[in-house]
Amino acid sequence: MTAPTIKLPAPLFARLSPHPFLLRNLTATAAAADPARPPAARTNGRGTNETRPLHAKASSLSHAHGSSLVRLGDTTVLCGVRAELLPVERIPLFRPVDRVGDGERGGGDGGDGGDGAGEGGRALLGRGELRDYDLLVPNIELATGSAPQFLPGVPPTALAQTLSTRVYSLLHSTGLVGVEDLRVWSKPGSGEGGDTEMEGAGEAQEVQEGVEEEDRVVAYWVLYIDLLFVSFDGNPFDAAWAAVVAALRNTSLPVARWDPEREMVVCSRTEKRQLNVRGLPVACTAAVFEEKELGEVGTGVVEGRHWLLLDPDRLEETLCREAITMVVDCSDGETRIKSIEKQGGTTIGRELIRGFAVIAEKRWKEVQGAMK
Amino acid sequence: MTVTTTAPQAALGVLPRSDGSAKYSHAGYTLTASVNGPIEAQRRDEHAYEAHVEVIVRPAAGVGGTRERHLESLLQSSLAQLILVKNFPRSLIQIVLQVEDSPENDYVNTKLVQASLNLAIMPALVQTAILALLSAGVPMRATATATAVAVVHQDGAKKTVVDPSPREVETARSVHVLAFTSHNGLLLAESEGDFTVGEWDDVYETAKGICCRAGPAKEGTAMVLDDEEASATDMRQFLRSTMESKVAADLHWK
Repeated sequence: MTAPTIKLPAPLFARLSPHPFLLRNLTATAAAADPARPPAARTNGRGTNETRPLHAKASSLSHAHGSSLVRLGDTTVLCGVRAELLPVERIPLFRPVDRVGDGERGGGDGGDGGDGAGEGGRALLGRGELRDYDLLVPNIELATGSAPQFLPGVPPTALAQTLSTRVYSLLHSTGLVGVEDLRVWSKPGSGEGGDTEMEGAGEAQEVQEGVEEEDRVVAYWVLYIDLLFVSFDGNPFDAAWAAVVAALRNTSLPVARWDPEREMVVCSRTEKRQLNVRGLPVACTAAVFEEKELGEVGTGVVEGRHWLLLDPDRLEETLCREAITMVVDCSDGETRIKSIEKQGGTTIGRELIRGFAVIAEKRWKEVQGAMK
Repeated sequence: MTVTTTAPQAALGVLPRSDGSAKYSHAGYTLTASVNGPIEAQRRDEHAYEAHVEVIVRPAAGVGGTRERHLESLLQSSLAQLILVKNFPRSLIQIVLQVEDSPENDYVNTKLVQASLNLAIMPALVQTAILALLSAGVPMRATATATAVAVVHQDGAKKTVVDPSPREVETARSVHVLAFTSHNGLLLAESEGDFTVGEWDDVYETAKGICCRAGPAKEGTAMVLDDEEASATDMRQFLRSTMESKVAADLHWK
């Protein structure tokens, strides 16, 4: 006597019991001899180590100072960078910046490979300004309708808040934008000199100017980085971060100068200068799918099989508890890790993290190609 | 290693009305946690097969912002793995963590509310939550211990600082938080800054030495550790001795 078999169409199976559905897809190798059945893959047809190609389009918004549209499969993020001037009189507890010391800092920092973290007090000064005066303001909105779980008329979800904290932290810890680009000086001309030629002759000239007349910072540019998820199909952080980097690389600010007669900062209508973006950090996310639903934690050895699903989509994200995000930057030739975030389980240990660095490196090359 | 390696302190059952509570202070941070559960879950949080774990982090000053939401989500995903959530379907286990004191930052322009991620508080949050869960008697698969490690470059030399101060976090090249379960599984790994895989490996070893020290029964493994690490705090032993003294005090009448 055989058990009656019920045939279900794939979409229905996926809705009724998503976990066994994904598991069946991943373990289809046993039946590979049967040509009628597809080889082992995820439900979206990708291999476990296969990412969705990233498409980045720059300057898609005409009224923003910089913008980008990034597509990662069905996840689409629109990022706009809007710059606003912040006069120093409006900053509480403003500390005047020393031009001479800063010139040194800019040069030394550039030579260091775009890292603002290491050079002791001097490098820290710039990082401190960005943080203290909140010169970078990222905000993430998950649009209603981008995915079924986002309801209209509710306060920002925990996901949106978490994402903006992660973007904010990473923006500061990577030193992607240097504060020297965001300063507006009182001496006309010195601002442009400091931006176009950071090292060398321009610097010596600035020092002289600083001695003869008082040169001070009169305003800062504040960058409002707004991200809107047009459609959401998993892996929001990778897409959001790629959009931020692409938009900042696209950003050019109007040339601003101090008008001593009117005592205000005026911007040029035509002249613009490109924002310097240091390095190209790329985020790479993977989720761990466990064979056993709600896998046992903490035994040290992994029970049952598990799969590392690179660039998870929405269905996979709901079925996976453990995830890892690694941000790498290989633009100096050497692979530097900028951030690791691993949470939600014990499957990913030391060896997997080491191995994941290689996967992230590969992803970096793909994204670098897409960003050009 | 720095002088800040003061021994952690903890007290269990400090709040009489909650199911379980703990007060913990280490490396300048003082936190109080309360655990209530399993209690009835709200309709939207109700899950048919497992308990919903809710973590609320309240900062020392002001209301919680996006940073607290991020810390909550990290803790939630980690603690939900430790608690036997399948034992309590359709219920809620609520963990409230109140920061009472955080270390002073001598830096001038310190703001009250900051949006950036504060990794240094993470170990204290994990430890306090675990102690409160133990105090409440919530069934768990394992306990967990966590530590923060910063890699500081000073005069061209690399230095590893355990439990860094806020100033050290700011000047550090990279900051790492690692949490291990009592079965030596890596539960949580958060790092930011600029580092290589090799540096991360060193940090992992240091953190494992603090969080996963073998018990006093196995002297052989403890001997392998060098003097510096041996003098550092042994988190697992601390957790154990805190529980033991609490149980001893509770059973004193027998």
